[in-house]
Amino acid sequence: MKLLIIEDELSLNQSMVEFLSASGYVCESVFNFNDAVEKIEVYDYDCIVLDIMLPGGSGLQILKYLKQNNKTDGVIIISAKDSLEDKIHGIELGADDYLTKPFHLSELSVRVAAIIRRKKFQGNSVITLADIEIDTVAQSVKINQQTTELTQKEFQLLLFFVINKNKVISKNAIAEHLWGDDMDIASNFDFIYAHIKNLRKKIVTAGGEDRIRSIYGVGYKMQLP
Amino acid sequence: MKLFTKYNRVNVSATIFTFVLGSIAFYFVLDYVLSRQLKETLRSEQFEIVHYVEEHHALPEIQNTRHQWITVEKSIEKLDKPQFKNIGYYNERDKENQSAKQLLFNIEVAGQNYLITVNKSEAETEELLKLIILVTIGMIALMLLFNYFINRRLINKLWQPFYKTIDDIKQYQVSDKQPMRLSNERIDELNLLNDSLNKMTQSIYREYAALKSFTENASHEMQTPLAVIRSKIDLLLQQSELNEQSLQQILSIEDAAKRLSKLHQSLLLLTKIENKQFVLNEQVDLKEIILEKIKEREELIDSKQLKIETFCKATTIYFYHHLAEILFNNLLNNAIKYTPQNGIINIELNEEFICFKNDAFNESLDTNKIFQRFYKPNDSRDGTGLGLAIIKEICNLAGFEISYSFKDHQHIFLIKIKTIE
Repeated sequence: MKLLIIEDELSLNQSMVEFLSASGYVCESVFNFNDAVEKIEVYDYDCIVLDIMLPGGSGLQILKYLKQNNKTDGVIIISAKDSLEDKIHGIELGADDYLTKPFHLSELSVRVAAIIRRKKFQGNSVITLADIEIDTVAQSVKINQQTTELTQKEFQLLLFFVINKNKVISKNAIAEHLWGDDMDIASNFDFIYAHIKNLRKKIVTAGGEDRIRSIYGVGYKMQLP
Repeated sequence: MKLFTKYNRVNVSATIFTFVLGSIAFYFVLDYVLSRQLKETLRSEQFEIVHYVEEHHALPEIQNTRHQWITVEKSIEKLDKPQFKNIGYYNERDKENQSAKQLLFNIEVAGQNYLITVNKSEAETEELLKLIILVTIGMIALMLLFNYFINRRLINKLWQPFYKTIDDIKQYQVSDKQPMRLSNERIDELNLLNDSLNKMTQSIYREYAALKSFTENASHEMQTPLAVIRSKIDLLLQQSELNEQSLQQILSIEDAAKRLSKLHQSLLLLTKIENKQFVLNEQVDLKEIILEKIKEREELIDSKQLKIETFCKATTIYFYHHLAEILFNNLLNNAIKYTPQNGIINIELNEEFICFKNDAFNESLDTNKIFQRFYKPNDSRDGTGLGLAIIKEICNLAGFEISYSFKDHQHIFLIKIKTIE
């Protein structure tokens, strides 16, 4: 899977490349508008991570360019412009998703994966990882070839872990992924723990291997070979 | 009072005053002229008699008419010169007292001195005077009436563009993303008004746009370094050689970065609300949002074993959807956060008010400071201290009234709202 990271902030660009490369993507990065356009003209990408405010032009113009040239690259906008209009405008111009800065890299990873699933496999994607099988369209899960009933939140949690396998994910990142940014849960992580406990119990009950590790109370990690 | 009414009042009274004054002067001038004419007639009568006597040496035969009569009598007494007199008499035909002018003079016919009086009734003159005055008054009335209607039509027509401008101003909103463009009129004054308004809104709009782009740039410049911090933390967490202590420290940095980000977003939101960057023109179903927000927090509520009682009637208002969400997010977050385990949260919504009540940990909050920015009660460490300030600003923007009270060991937030009629 090939990604293009368009972000002018050098260290943020590097972070994204490092994290996503470790997730198995091939990443190219550009830091300004003109380089971005050059790359897009020549190559096709599975997903483009696009910043809006770029030196030399607006990311929205890149979106227009893609649309005009019938390019099917998936696009996720990452921008600090937290206004609703901008989100709507970006989506109208053909972006597949919108992520507001600052974000967790694990969140970006999961969104990019979702876009690629939609674009590449027309949504007919079943993710298989060791003894876990997730059908993202039917929202069903088989563990050890056994259909396992998960709640909505448990399903999201499992998918989040699977996409970010072998990565330490902080409780903050999990909370934001499952409940968004509007809830005030900073002082109360107990119920996250409850969800994870339930998920692990269901996996074990189905005869699967419990691969979720708690990391010193900081976060969790799904350990896969 | 309307300008036209005011103008008309002044105009009509000035006109009446002028005409009355003019009429009085006219009356006296006319009276003077007519009485001089009367005297002239009497004199010419005298002249005729004198002339006749000189020619014929006899008195002429006297022919009296209804309004003019002559008397002749012998007299010893002699007048130095002809005399005019005003007399009153009873007119038998008209059956009323009338006044007349009298000219007395002497004449000698065949050595005999006569006193001749020529009388002419003033009734005719008076009638003429009356007629003229009547016509004048009629004309004044007619003129006033015409003036009134013409002015009314004309002024209404002349003011039309003015009212159009007023309508345009009423409908103008700076968040429409453009300055006002009022049309050119044929009247200079209205042109001046429209031009000035165009220029004024242009500069207002420029400032508004500058402020808007400032908040956007501020957001970008602030959130980008925070995004760098967060991404580096995510990467640091992946290093397997870290021990627990290091990880805890990294997590503290993450928490701080998150709070900073949240704080900055909240301040920007406050600025945006104050700048009126949100237009409250969407029909928003408040009940739907409240129930949705409660549902989002189900797990959180369950984990504290809180009981939520809702008494919500379907209520639709003109609002901005995102702001309504923020409003209820903040109200609910506070209620959940500051209710002890097993406590009760009571939410009421109807066409008149939104009311959030929740069991309290401690005593009442400081009612004077509660809506101030960065106010935090003593027992609160986290949070931005901006949640209630944002609620207050949103209420201000919408013209809602928010109040806090403490009763039966419960925090009570009451918002009086305006629904769509």
